Amino acid sequence: MGGVKRHITLLVCICALYAAIILPFTRSMRSKPFAEKLGALPTVATLKFLSADQRLFVGSSLVMKVIIYFGGLTERAKNRIIIPPDYPAMSRTIHTAVKLDPYNSDAYYFAQAFLTWDARQFAIANDLLREGMKYRTWDWQLPFFIGFNYGYFLKDYRNAAHYYKKAAELSGQELYASLAGRYLQEAGQTDQAIAYLEIMAKGARNPVAKRSFFIRLTAFKRAKLVEDARDAFRKRKGRLPSSVAELVDGGFLAMAPVDPYGGEFFIAPDGSVGTTSKFAFKGSGGQSRDKGGAQQ
Amino acid sequence: MKKAIEINNLTKTYKGKKGAQVQALKGLALEIMPGEEFGFLGPNGAGKSTTIKTLMGLIRPTAGDALILEERISSNSARRHVGYLPENPAFYDYLTAEEYLTFVARAFDVPSNLLRERVCESLRIMELWDARKRPMRGYSKGMVQRVGLAQTLIHDPDVYILDEPMSGLDPIGRALVKEIILDLKKRGKSVFFSTHITDDVEKVCDRVGVIVRGKLEALDSVENIVRKGIEGYIVQTRLGLGRHEALSGFEIRGTNETFAEYFVPAAAFNQFMSLAGHNSVEVTLVETKRKDLEAFFLEIVEKGEAR
Amino acid sequence: MLNQVGITLKSILRDRVFHGIIFSALIFLAIPSVASLSMRQMTELSITLSLSLLSFILLLLALFLGGTHLWKDIERRYTYSVLSLPISRTTYLIGKFLGIAFFILVVACLLGLVAAGVIQFSAGIYPPERPIAWENIAAAVVFDALKYILVVATAFLFSSVGTSFFLPIFGTICIFFVGSASQQVYDYITAPATADIPLFTKKAAMVVYYLLPNYSAFDYKVNAAYGVPLDGSGLLLTLGYFVIYLLAVVVLAALLFEKREMN
Ligand SMILES: Nc1ncnc2c1ncn2[C@@H]1O[C@H](COP(=O)(O)OP(=O)(O)OP(=O)(O)O)[C@@H](O)[C@H]1O
Ligand SMILES: [Mg+2]
Repeated sequence: MGGVKRHITLLVCICALYAAIILPFTRSMRSKPFAEKLGALPTVATLKFLSADQRLFVGSSLVMKVIIYFGGLTERAKNRIIIPPDYPAMSRTIHTAVKLDPYNSDAYYFAQAFLTWDARQFAIANDLLREGMKYRTWDWQLPFFIGFNYGYFLKDYRNAAHYYKKAAELSGQELYASLAGRYLQEAGQTDQAIAYLEIMAKGARNPVAKRSFFIRLTAFKRAKLVEDARDAFRKRKGRLPSSVAELVDGGFLAMAPVDPYGGEFFIAPDGSVGTTSKFAFKGSGGQSRDKGGAQQ
Repeated sequence: MKKAIEINNLTKTYKGKKGAQVQALKGLALEIMPGEEFGFLGPNGAGKSTTIKTLMGLIRPTAGDALILEERISSNSARRHVGYLPENPAFYDYLTAEEYLTFVARAFDVPSNLLRERVCESLRIMELWDARKRPMRGYSKGMVQRVGLAQTLIHDPDVYILDEPMSGLDPIGRALVKEIILDLKKRGKSVFFSTHITDDVEKVCDRVGVIVRGKLEALDSVENIVRKGIEGYIVQTRLGLGRHEALSGFEIRGTNETFAEYFVPAAAFNQFMSLAGHNSVEVTLVETKRKDLEAFFLEIVEKGEAR
Repeated sequence: MLNQVGITLKSILRDRVFHGIIFSALIFLAIPSVASLSMRQMTELSITLSLSLLSFILLLLALFLGGTHLWKDIERRYTYSVLSLPISRTTYLIGKFLGIAFFILVVACLLGLVAAGVIQFSAGIYPPERPIAWENIAAAVVFDALKYILVVATAFLFSSVGTSFFLPIFGTICIFFVGSASQQVYDYITAPATADIPLFTKKAAMVVYYLLPNYSAFDYKVNAAYGVPLDGSGLLLTLGYFVIYLLAVVVLAALLFEKREMN
């Protein structure tokens, strides 16, 4: 059976070749753009048909995909390699996922996490969340998110108060209602964000979400440091500081705080404190063909 | 000349599930000479097909080895000059007989200028000409068997290995196969075929081997078996003429008004004839009384199975 | 070998199940009307749908041809007559495989042309915003065909040891799903989000990842539908991966088949 021996030799050679190619291949596969990695998503109708009685599984695996993808990016961001996240593709995926399983809380939770600060698609986020409220009628988080989006991003305080109240009713915790009362004014923006993020970070179980909340919380707390220094400066000198450097020189800040998103804190002419990063990693959001909506 | 087939100590143990084992062949040794027609006899389950499949490389021997035309059966080229008919053959049934035979001929590297002619010839020999353009799906059992025989002839091999070539054939087909084997014999080809029908063997074979429970129990030329099988003669004499008393030492099998029938053991035949001559007894008919191959076969099988 | 390839092709073409599968290609005709449901991206949608349908037909063909062909030869005892010819079992197996692989490639190209017609038709009704990236569509079709050729090879691997069609068919389906998801699993276990997974599970998943075919590498549908530029070196690496992996599977199948008993 010389044939068999030849086969085995050949097999060993091929395995060696395989070992040689698999690492570059894996590397190339890992760095594929998210949308390519995700593959073309069939239309929701097709996907519903194909996933047959496994809809929930398909839906949650789509959400999982997005979470893992985003987790990988924040991990790399820590190592200062910033790859622009593909927000439209993430949004598309989440939308498809909730069509398959409208009860999937991860989907809403995570959509809220990245659609707002990062992708700045507040309207889409609120629509998605409102859709979710139809199914997850018991879930106080959804109205809480909507309320925050209205209050913080859209400056629509009436709607914000409405949804915060709903969240309070559902959760039975007055805290959320009082949140609405306490911070719903322009000046309380940073405080509102910090309160929101603290609640979110506490409730987050997924390490990726938790970390992303903590990063943001850190950024806001640092912004708050600058704001406090600014207020002290104005009290003492009777005018607004022109830059963060001025605050440091004047001894109001020990040093210029570092923005974890890689931006720089600044003081706008009207005195408000901002950062060049806008509290988000630089993304590719915005130039999407189908603004994150489902493909229909 | 090269030996057609050489089988040395061939042993095959089938391993079934749960450790069940079947010893299908136990140290089989056999040689088939060039130009020899060999009949491989044995009862059901004796190991005939196992031997043949091993020769064709379809199953691997547990021990021992075999050669065809001095090439080891483990090499593909051992089958180059062999025409093989499987037991209850099945062929790609979506092909027509013509297509299948062309496929086989190509596999045997029949030169393309001969190919067409060979295909037609074997179709004609096996009387499949009219059905040649029909898919084999629609063939009867005997027709498929004929295709099987046709595909052994197509490359004009020197060695034929046929597993029950007569099975499924009508009397005309059987006669045809016998004729073909006799014709191959004339052309100096070797044929090794298995069967349980002794009559076929007697008519066409030079030698027979009898396998029982995986062991070769007998191996002899047909001629020898036939000769050894003669037990005696039945001799008919006319009554009323000569002195019949002189023959009273012989056993009488029967009488009527005109004739008497004696059974004469082979050894005493000459003595009987001379006594009859001396006593003016007229011998009207002499018939050999012998065990036929069937009896020989049954005897051996019985002996083999008793062991 | 060529003889074997020819016979294999003949057997495929004369099979009724194959006719049924090809019949399902008629669904292509329905794509333009389905795609017109999309308000904004009719062309993109018809590209996605065409490629998905093509992929699905190829999957059926690959499963059916790869999973049953070898098994049927054994089951119907054709192997007795064919393997007693003076060809090696490797030749037999590879001849069969090449026949099916060639067939899949041809069907992919033909269906690719049909798909191109459908896409062109859709684009004619609602002109797309961006020009259609035909070369991306071609690449997606070809790599899809390669993927399903790999599926056929795994089916052959299972057929070379299995005694019924259960192993080849269901084994191949399992490998197909796991192989399509393995990149995702790999990303999952290497993601920081999952740092608390036991090390053993991670190692086991890594072994599975490196062992099983990575089918997701062959998916270029997004590039085709949205004109996302193709990455040349990525294509080459995938092609190299395909060749090497395919060889390994086919040689292993041949090895197992050589050692197999025909009874
Ligand atoms: N695949 C197998 N697995 C287990 N045992 C087998 C297998 N094939 C044959 N056998 C056994 O080996 C023995 C010999 O079988 P074989 O087919 O060689 O007999 P045979 O002489 O050809 O009989 P027949 O005249 O019925 O064709 C039998 O006892 C049979 O049960
Ligand atoms: Mg038999």
